[in-house]
Amino acid sequence: MKVNVNTEIAVTYLWARKKQTLIAAMGVMFGISMFIFMQSLMKGTNDYFEKQSFSNTAHIRIYNENKIADTHIMETAMGDSSVKLLVNPKQVQQSLSIINPYGLIRMLWKDPLVADITPQVTADVIYAGGNVQLNGNVFGVNIVEEDKMFDVQSNMLKGDFHDLDRVSNGILIGKGIADKLSLHLNDNITVRAATGAPVIMRVIGIFTTTIIQTDNSKAYVNIKQAQNLLGKDRNYVTDIKMTLKDYNLAPPKARELERITGYKAEDWVQANEQLKAAFKIRAVILNSVIGVILLVAGFGIYNILNMTIYEKIKEIAILKATGFSGQSVISIFLQQAIYIGLIGAVIGLLVGFFLTLAVSKIYIGAGNLKYLPMSFYLPHYIEGVGFGILTTIAAGYFPAKKASKVDPVTIIRG
Amino acid sequence: MEALALKSTGITKYFHDPVKLAVLNGIDLEVKKGEFVSIVGKSGCGKSTLLYVLSTMDRDYEGTLEINGVMATGKSINALAFLRNSTIGFVFQFHYLLPDFSCLKNVMIPGLRLGKLSYKEVEEKAYEKLKMFGVEDQALKMANKLSGGQQQRVAIARALINDPAIIMGDEPTGNLDSKNTGVVFDLFQKLTKEYGQTIITVTHDEDFADRSDRIIEMADGCIVTHNKKLK
Repeated sequence: MKVNVNTEIAVTYLWARKKQTLIAAMGVMFGISMFIFMQSLMKGTNDYFEKQSFSNTAHIRIYNENKIADTHIMETAMGDSSVKLLVNPKQVQQSLSIINPYGLIRMLWKDPLVADITPQVTADVIYAGGNVQLNGNVFGVNIVEEDKMFDVQSNMLKGDFHDLDRVSNGILIGKGIADKLSLHLNDNITVRAATGAPVIMRVIGIFTTTIIQTDNSKAYVNIKQAQNLLGKDRNYVTDIKMTLKDYNLAPPKARELERITGYKAEDWVQANEQLKAAFKIRAVILNSVIGVILLVAGFGIYNILNMTIYEKIKEIAILKATGFSGQSVISIFLQQAIYIGLIGAVIGLLVGFFLTLAVSKIYIGAGNLKYLPMSFYLPHYIEGVGFGILTTIAAGYFPAKKASKVDPVTIIRG
Repeated sequence: MEALALKSTGITKYFHDPVKLAVLNGIDLEVKKGEFVSIVGKSGCGKSTLLYVLSTMDRDYEGTLEINGVMATGKSINALAFLRNSTIGFVFQFHYLLPDFSCLKNVMIPGLRLGKLSYKEVEEKAYEKLKMFGVEDQALKMANKLSGGQQQRVAIARALINDPAIIMGDEPTGNLDSKNTGVVFDLFQKLTKEYGQTIITVTHDEDFADRSDRIIEMADGCIVTHNKKLK
């Protein structure tokens, strides 16, 4: 085996100063393990909240919105676009229904990006049980599809949601409604929508989410039941909810659907702006903390190499006198920095992994979140090592450059 | 005509601090291959300065320097580093061994740098050189664990590892007792006579100088005589 003489000298120097080497490596180790740990925590948390947001938000929701009156009808009627004024425009009352919803759904299914589509009827209702009344929203859904999209099953407290398809007037209510109206499984509840007659329904299940607001107002019924409740026909559909194969494609797809259908298409990003803002803020905090840690580690390496060079300035002069070029000297000292970086990186990877593993076992028990959400994501580890090595190279280059400039004559002659 | 190992023409060097002062003043020097030359002179006459210029380490001079027929003046730092590595061995007044390495490694490092021989061959050769100076039993000791005389002998062995055409010494025996000085001198003589290597040393030791082939005496930055007879 032929070991480069520069490498041999670099390794010997590191070995001769084990303690300092180790301390410098610890700095890098600390930076990298914190990088991995924090990234894992952040990605885990972000993933959790993202998943959580998908438990009540579809990737894309298409619905009809009242529009502000504009002049386009006048323009069509009058056939010229000269000056027209519309003073104090108002919202135009429109049916909230989507026209020909099943035709639209068939069309949407042709898109290869689509994973799932389901229609929904939303109704503002008043629940009544005994003398107490409660405002809320009823979601008329195909419960099997709904479960596929939003994992209804994981929120079920009592009953079986499949009964929505079996019991003709079944209703699945939030825990808050059940508590406030003192309802149990198989009790009756009166539901009244703004249009249509009051309907007596039977509680076939109770669910709970992490959001109290939802638990206090939301109920699921069969889509046909919701149409009955509103006194509408079978083509009355207020929302079409879609799941895409890749949810990151939702925003552009939503824009496209808005253009094609003329309806409002809201993607999950729009529906969760605050979530996205939180992601961004967390990323900034994380990156600044890691930046500082790596900077400190970098200064540690810089310092130690600088000290080494002052201590070994005569030896550097001798190496140069015996024929080592400037590049060789740079190579010797840069290699030391890189080895420190590598040692730190390897230990840092392990420490980061085990720290992440340990923390993922900490019981939190808030809502339906049992353990801290940590992700084990390979690119974090690769990035961590990459940043660590880059820092050490940057920190090692300047002392190495300085060492290469040592003038043997001045040093040896004193 | 005999081949020249080293030739300098009009070498002039100034010290700029605190005032501009010519330490070397138009030095013309020729050293033949296989010659054993001593440079003598009083302290401050510029003999060490001249040696550092001749060794190519000091590039701040006027005039020209040829080593082994190759023009060294004007070459890049890296080219000079290679030139030193392959053709010049340098022995300092102080040993300057690398304390973190064993003696053997210290001797091997310039050989490994040159990279002409395999690791094993360099190792064997380094052993051989150490043996020449009677310090082969210290080979695996760390360099800083040896006595001063032993260290100096290891340092001389290091200068010889690449079989340089020219060996330069800045008072190489300054730290050696008379017995070891004798050993080193005999070896130097053998190197010039048997291997045709050229030796240029700066020395204060009159006995040492007297036994060399030629003595160059310097004073005030000039060569007084190219062939001084002491006795």
